[in-house]
Amino acid sequence: MLPTVLTLPFVAAGLVALFGHRAGSKLASVALAVPLAIFAWLVAQVGALPPGGLVWSHGWIEELGLALSFRLDGWSLLFALLIAGIGTLVLWYSRFYLGPDEDHSKFVLYLLLFMGSMLGVVFAENLLVLYMFWELTSISSFLLIGYWHEREASREGALKALVITVIGGFAMLVGLLLLSLSAGTLSVRELALKASEIQAHPFYPWIVGLILAGAFTKSAQVPFHIWLPSAMEAPTPVSAYLHSATMVKAGLYLVGRLSLVLGGTAAWTYPVVVVGLLTMLVGSYTALRQRDLKALLAYSTVSQLGFIMAALGLGTPGALGAAAFHLFNHATFKGALFLVVGIVDHETGTRDLAKLGGLRRAMPWSAAFMTLSALSLAGVPLLSGFISKELIFTSLVEAGSLMGGLAWLLPGVATVASLLTALYSFVLFHEVFDGQARGTTPRPAREASPALLLSPGLLTAVAVLVGLGPHLVTGSLIDPAASALAGQPVEIHAALWHGVNAPFLMSATALVGALAFYPARHRLRALLERLTTRWTAERAYQAFLNGLMGLAQRVTDRHMTGRLADYLLYILIAFVVLVGGTVLANGGFALRPLDLASPTVVELVLLAAMVAGTLFVVRTRSGLAAIITLGVVGYSVVLLWVHWQAPDLALTQLVVESVSVVLLLLAFVHFPKLERKPVAAGRRRLNLAVAVLSGAMVSWLSIRANGTQLFEPISQYFIENSLPLGGGRNIVNVILVDFRGLDTLGEITVLSIAALGVYMLVGSRIRRTRREAAERQEGEGL
Amino acid sequence: MELLTSLVIGLLVGAGVYLLLQREVLRVVLGTMLISHATNLMLFISGGVKRGGPPIVGRGIPTAGGGLAYTDPLPQALILTAIVIGFASTAFVLVLAYKAIQSRGSDDMEDLRSVEEPHE
Amino acid sequence: MSNLQLAPLSNLPVLPVVVSLLFAVLLILGHGRLRYQRAVGAAGVLAALVADLILFTTVLREGPLVYRAGDWPAPYGILFVADRLNVLLVLVAGVVGAITFWFAVRSLDEARQRAFFYPLFHVQLAGVYGAFLTGDLFNLFVFYEVTLLASFVLLTLGGERFQLQEGLKYVIINTLSSAFFLVGVAILYRTLGTVNMADLAVKVASAPDQGWLLVIAVVFVVVFGLKAAIFPLYFWLPYSYPTAPTAIAGLFAALLSKVGIYSLFRVFTLIFVAQVSVTHHGLFLVLASFTMVLGVLGPVAQMDFKRILAFHIVSQIGYMLMGLGFYTPVALAGGIYHIVHNMVIKTGLFLTAGATEEVTGTSHLERMSGLLRSHPVLAAVFFMSGLSLAGMPPFSGFFSKLALMVGGLQAGGYLVVAISVAVSFLTLFSMIKIWRYVYWGPDRGERRLDARATSPLVWPAAALLLISVGMGLGASFVFDYSYATALELMDPARYVAAVLGPQAAAVLAHAGL
Repeated sequence: MLPTVLTLPFVAAGLVALFGHRAGSKLASVALAVPLAIFAWLVAQVGALPPGGLVWSHGWIEELGLALSFRLDGWSLLFALLIAGIGTLVLWYSRFYLGPDEDHSKFVLYLLLFMGSMLGVVFAENLLVLYMFWELTSISSFLLIGYWHEREASREGALKALVITVIGGFAMLVGLLLLSLSAGTLSVRELALKASEIQAHPFYPWIVGLILAGAFTKSAQVPFHIWLPSAMEAPTPVSAYLHSATMVKAGLYLVGRLSLVLGGTAAWTYPVVVVGLLTMLVGSYTALRQRDLKALLAYSTVSQLGFIMAALGLGTPGALGAAAFHLFNHATFKGALFLVVGIVDHETGTRDLAKLGGLRRAMPWSAAFMTLSALSLAGVPLLSGFISKELIFTSLVEAGSLMGGLAWLLPGVATVASLLTALYSFVLFHEVFDGQARGTTPRPAREASPALLLSPGLLTAVAVLVGLGPHLVTGSLIDPAASALAGQPVEIHAALWHGVNAPFLMSATALVGALAFYPARHRLRALLERLTTRWTAERAYQAFLNGLMGLAQRVTDRHMTGRLADYLLYILIAFVVLVGGTVLANGGFALRPLDLASPTVVELVLLAAMVAGTLFVVRTRSGLAAIITLGVVGYSVVLLWVHWQAPDLALTQLVVESVSVVLLLLAFVHFPKLERKPVAAGRRRLNLAVAVLSGAMVSWLSIRANGTQLFEPISQYFIENSLPLGGGRNIVNVILVDFRGLDTLGEITVLSIAALGVYMLVGSRIRRTRREAAERQEGEGL
Repeated sequence: MELLTSLVIGLLVGAGVYLLLQREVLRVVLGTMLISHATNLMLFISGGVKRGGPPIVGRGIPTAGGGLAYTDPLPQALILTAIVIGFASTAFVLVLAYKAIQSRGSDDMEDLRSVEEPHE
Repeated sequence: MSNLQLAPLSNLPVLPVVVSLLFAVLLILGHGRLRYQRAVGAAGVLAALVADLILFTTVLREGPLVYRAGDWPAPYGILFVADRLNVLLVLVAGVVGAITFWFAVRSLDEARQRAFFYPLFHVQLAGVYGAFLTGDLFNLFVFYEVTLLASFVLLTLGGERFQLQEGLKYVIINTLSSAFFLVGVAILYRTLGTVNMADLAVKVASAPDQGWLLVIAVVFVVVFGLKAAIFPLYFWLPYSYPTAPTAIAGLFAALLSKVGIYSLFRVFTLIFVAQVSVTHHGLFLVLASFTMVLGVLGPVAQMDFKRILAFHIVSQIGYMLMGLGFYTPVALAGGIYHIVHNMVIKTGLFLTAGATEEVTGTSHLERMSGLLRSHPVLAAVFFMSGLSLAGMPPFSGFFSKLALMVGGLQAGGYLVVAISVAVSFLTLFSMIKIWRYVYWGPDRGERRLDARATSPLVWPAAALLLISVGMGLGASFVFDYSYATALELMDPARYVAAVLGPQAAAVLAHAGL
């Protein structure tokens, strides 16, 4: 069943790609059958999962550690329900959110692809399979952020998200492969059994660092969080779904999933908790500075992700349960908040706090949903956020108690961040909906249609219900999820009232503090703005991009000069260095005694003629003289062939040489002068050096080869068999036409092709480029 | 003799390379031709320049052992192929060079340098 | 009876070459007539494909096949040896060739189609087939030259000014590389007295003077490296390919540099394997790293669609060389997988670029915008092909790179793997750059063809993408094949036994290989 569930969104996406454009704006309401069906199936699994989860497994590529294995346990089920459930609501919402003229089919296509990929991430039992789906979520997120790709900001935001998450993803891939190398498996279940072995392995710090790089980038942890606010260029349902409820939680999913394998050590706990809390703090105070509602929610998401990350990092059963619970609550109330902000934007035409205000009268339902969800985010009792936040506080206090003098640190940071969170949560509903209607919105505000309100309404209802009766979900969903992570049964104690204890005091401090600071929020905001005028992470990203492009441009321009001489120079230097280097490393340029044939007078004369001719060709300033002298060199070679008893060679070379000279004369008849065009002195010296070195290198190779005859040549066979088997006395000819006839076939082909090429080049007029030609044509047409 | 020939081969290569690196198209083309002479010679002496009869059955030089000595026929066959192939590409290079020169009205490699295709 | 059955089998390895050359002749005879050219050309491409397929299945079934030209015994005559590695490449070359042909028929201007394009196309294929299949080093030189000459003419076909200019550089550099090849053959023949590859393998394994053999090996690294376009020998490639019409550039991208990398794979698994720690772990890994990095910086900087792709030929060759450099079964398998993947998807990308250029009349990124809206299918094909090139799952590129990484990490090559990962990211970055400029953005700029009129140009690229998807979803099949091939490559005695018989193979075994 698992593979069927998993392939369903992809099949649906395929159908949408093929036929989706015919359905128009109704497409989303048809397509939501897919997540709805999956959701229904998942709900049926709640409480019905066998211990160890539902498993489906199939081999794939053993050598690479790939296996097609999937598992649905409590932790995956929690995520899968959010993916399918919120997916359904978001599809429904977007059908009314997107205008009728927009490209619904692409939107639904991307969304279904994302849904399938995200389900793959949480179903995968093999970590490489998880990675594959992980990258697919990055890709579909890229497409969704850039859905309105006509806008520059959308394109930039999409790029930023992709660059950061993919770099993290690649790091994670290497981490996973190292993990595989150290444990011999990538199955989560088997890895958990080998945890101690892995943690003792020298790769362990690398594995942790690289995998956390993947998780932190995906879940927008400081300093990688900068992509998330830019991703708000996506349509709001996408922000609600991917960039708040599901995809950004993939990093949390992975950290949770691996806590049994990698967790429990300082190398794991410290980075996760510290980065988590830092992210919480940075996210919350940055959120407070925002004037754009979506940006505010984006930073709020960053902050809350950090909060959950820290809880996961603590790794105690209680903390894992608390994290799972808060993750669930955050997905619901933050999803609702995004969708309401989408409605506000949709109905009023703006998300700017400066223009909004007093909308309660015009938009009562939206106001109610926003208020309840925001209060849940703030951690107000009777709402879901309060309960799970208290649970995390409890874990932080427990963890702090082990830190001696620094016991206050973790709870303290969390309290400050919670205070800021409550502060901006109040802003969310108070500044938008309360007070006087200001009439500064681009469009007069009016309540959205019930269809549009349905999705945020349902999500808000969940937040309220869970707040009133946490047992609705804790026993059936949260406990199994936490148990799957802890590897032992976990039961969280969610209750509205635990008495006056440290967590309660932290919550109270945050809420009371927020109320106290609320009137002074503008001054606080101004103060914060002065504190943080520089976004170093953002600058680092821009510097990285610019540096990369600049470097690439410089390196490329530097070596791809378009100058043939440069290219040849690099190649020849490479030849000399590589071959010469090898020679030096292997006994140097020493020579062996040669079994030389002593030169005859004829040979000496011919060689002398070649030397003289060659030197003349190099030095002469007359094209004609150079060509003729080259002929002389060629004819000397011919005579050498004659002298060396190679009649066939001599004949062929004679013909070739003569034709070449004639062709040369024809080709260069217009350029009789061979004036030396100026070459810089340094360059001339370099040319000379490379020429001398290349020549010397080849000379040496030839001499060395002639002193190193290790085996008898095979040619005796040709001499013996030319007549009896080949039927010819001329051995060279027999070799050419018989023993090595295929060479001759190739040779003839080469000759014919060259003839063809020459024929066509000679016959062709020189054409301008196609572009020039086309432009001319156009010009004539006009 | 191998030693001397090898030195001449080196000279041919060196001179050829030097010409290849020049700016005038004719020099570049001449450079390729010098190098091809060098490689042919090198192939030849890879069979040894020992004295022997032409590789035609029956025309070898009698040896002390009673057999006939021939020059190594295989390199000759290879060179023959190489010469023809070399000629084919030389001919093409020549015509191409001619056309390229014509298209720019200049025999200076610097004028054939432009990296960007012209957008006029 | 058994002789009757065996005789045709042993002729099979030469069949693709013969078929392609035969059709080239037929096409030359009927030149100028467009319908004849297209029909006979198509028949030729398909016939060659059938020959490839028969060869492929036969080798899978029967093991390595040896064709002895003129029935001369090895190592005296020329041999064609078909084994798992080269029949795979032959088959993929045939498929990619056929699809490129399809695109050429639809995209190439009529003047070029009349001007011997079709016969040249077939000669090009014949040369590539020959270079893949031959078992003789000098014969390899000859087929290199066949391939080269055909590419010279194809590159300058049409004689545009920019083509002539870049063509001249391409031709001169390749002439120099041919000279290097002959130098290599000369010193090898002088030292070992043979040019047959299997015979060379046996002799290298039993030769005393390994230091000198290493020098010869490095000369061949330069020779094949020039063809394969690795660092620091690739300068002839990036600016020359894009000057040719896309159908031709696509064919080059699929075949030419792959012949070079194939030769490296062949020669450095069969012949020069005595000093792997120097040649492979040392030299190749260093060269591979530089090739990847310098090859990928070009695309990051460039703003021309086709040049970005041409540069990526270089960067991707680096990955293949990396597989050879690690020289473990998994890494080699990754290298082989990557060759096949790249032949398919790089050509697909070139064809996509070609189709895009037909629509917009330019290949400069800044002059294009918004094709996603006007030409969604074209955009989708590009997007997925680009992801495949960058090695994103679930496309073929992911699996080949995964195998390379796994092999590399197993061999302890952490730095090289890290570099390859960074290069993957930059590859993705450059593909996304194209996507953002060309396909995203407001729908504006020239539109010479509407979406419907573009679709005939998109199908060939879509077909190649489909193959890449198939090689991704069917990754286990491709990997298993590559892995078995890698094991075969790492056991050169099998190749030698097929060519020279078991005694010669025993020499190899004795030498510990």
